Amino acid sequence: MMTAVALTPGMAAIVLFGVFFLLLVMRVPVAFALGLACLPVLLFEPRLSPMALFNETFKAYNSFILLSVPLFLLTANLMSVGGITDRLVRLSRAMVGNFPGALAQINVVLSVFFAGISGSSTADAASQAKIFIEAQVKEGYGLSFSIAITAVSAVLAVIIPPSILMIVWGGVISTSIGAMYLAGIIPGLLIAVAQMATVHVYAKIYNYPVYPRATLKEFLYSAWISIPALFTPFIIVGGILLGWFTATESAAVAVIYAAILSIFFYREMDMKHLYTALSETGKLSAVALFCVGTASAFGWMLAYYQIPKALLENVTSWGMGITGVGFFIAFVFLVVGCFLDAIPAIIIVGTILQPLAASVNMHPIHFAIIGIVSLAFGLVTPPYGLCLLISCAVAKVPMKFALKDTMIMLVPMLVMLALIIVFPDIPLLLPRLFAPELLK
Amino acid sequence: MKAILDGYHRLLTWLMVASVAILIFPVTLQIISRYTELIPSYIWTEELSRFLFIWLVMLGAMIGVREGTHFEVDVWPTLGRRPNAILKIIANIFVLIFALVFLIWGIQFLRFGWDQTSELADLPMGFIFFAWPLSGLTWILFLIESFIDNYRILTTGRLS
Repeated sequence: MMTAVALTPGMAAIVLFGVFFLLLVMRVPVAFALGLACLPVLLFEPRLSPMALFNETFKAYNSFILLSVPLFLLTANLMSVGGITDRLVRLSRAMVGNFPGALAQINVVLSVFFAGISGSSTADAASQAKIFIEAQVKEGYGLSFSIAITAVSAVLAVIIPPSILMIVWGGVISTSIGAMYLAGIIPGLLIAVAQMATVHVYAKIYNYPVYPRATLKEFLYSAWISIPALFTPFIIVGGILLGWFTATESAAVAVIYAAILSIFFYREMDMKHLYTALSETGKLSAVALFCVGTASAFGWMLAYYQIPKALLENVTSWGMGITGVGFFIAFVFLVVGCFLDAIPAIIIVGTILQPLAASVNMHPIHFAIIGIVSLAFGLVTPPYGLCLLISCAVAKVPMKFALKDTMIMLVPMLVMLALIIVFPDIPLLLPRLFAPELLK
Repeated sequence: MKAILDGYHRLLTWLMVASVAILIFPVTLQIISRYTELIPSYIWTEELSRFLFIWLVMLGAMIGVREGTHFEVDVWPTLGRRPNAILKIIANIFVLIFALVFLIWGIQFLRFGWDQTSELADLPMGFIFFAWPLSGLTWILFLIESFIDNYRILTTGRLS
């Protein structure tokens, strides 16, 4: 037969995933491995050409939504160089400094504050690894423990609003970003509490140091100087709910607010620091986003051969209820999160799972929070967990070094995820109270 | 060659920093223009921010290859210098293939772009599509440098 030789979906899937994993093992960067995996199929399939690679990467980058990635990274970097972070550290110390494992508790609490201002976990890991890891080791904490707690607390940044992942999720799966922001607050705080409990247990076992309890005066003073910074989440979330600006624009508002605080209020920023902040922002966001482009091409190839549909056909016939589907979705995202960054995972997998969630009438916001929390955990799971990679890179040790403690800390976090899956009210409570119209 | 590449690297970094810095203005303008009559609501602000963003990503991706910051998955035990250099060379061969694809088909992509103009600001799309073949070319330059470095490690056991 002289008709076009097209690959069957099964063959295409084997080539795409096979080449991708083979290249990963050979330590080809993930972004390039995803693009290269498309290549054999694009060349072999007569109806396709490598031009698809260009169209898909261009379409991915030509998106107003992803602009929030560099903007939130810049917010984080401005916070560090502009003195905002220092004030928040002081406040955290006044709040939890008298708990066992003080510095590690401060690490978690600072991540909560940070999460309310920046929506980027990688930025949180990068800046807090520099502040805490060395300091904790100096005070007698284990290095592996210090790396692990920095990495796992950084994932809060994408669960507590604002969040880059929620903005991307809203753009890809059309879910209300305002509602997701409200829905992320309680799950985020629950996970933070789980982490603080973990630190407490570690501190008791290993006898980690404690600071003297802060005086009321110190607490009030540190809260007073942090008020302008603590006001940020209210501006961002409120501004979106009131319709003042869109989610992406809110990232620009966060940048401007952080810049104003740094320049006029705390007055600690100079041109050299500004340049460093801009260049670190550009470098980190570009490598992360470049990967989003090739992942989109990869996802497009999967869709072209209808591979997701074939994979899911079986699952729908299992007859699971909402909770069963919830656990299934969390499992898939956790596994995918081991190999992919969260944004590409939303693009490739989120769209695939959406019909499954809809088929059991799972609330779209519940679905979103399960997905985002699972993907956030993927930021610390090997072999590809960016927050863990970054924290280990700052400490100059290989990732294997901090693996055991990270896995231990993940257990209580997974329990929280299970609670979120079983009780949809946990995420849905706040949106129901404050913005019921967004849940329709 | 090292000096030239260093200069080129600095130029790319500087351009990337500039695009991050400028990026904030069109987005801000877009918000403010909605609430005040003082500045007209420019329709091209959204498009300009997207185009700056594309250049930011591509410039950062070019630099990332020289700085080795593109994230990779490491499943190997800690390797010695030589095995590590061999693995680097193998991985870089694949990145080189990707770079060649970006250069060769990228030129075709660029040609196709010169015939189009952007929807809002009437900018020739070639200004944007140019980023793809340029990335390909830049990667090839940086990879050649890396091949030489790794070859030196392989033969002499250390860098230069």
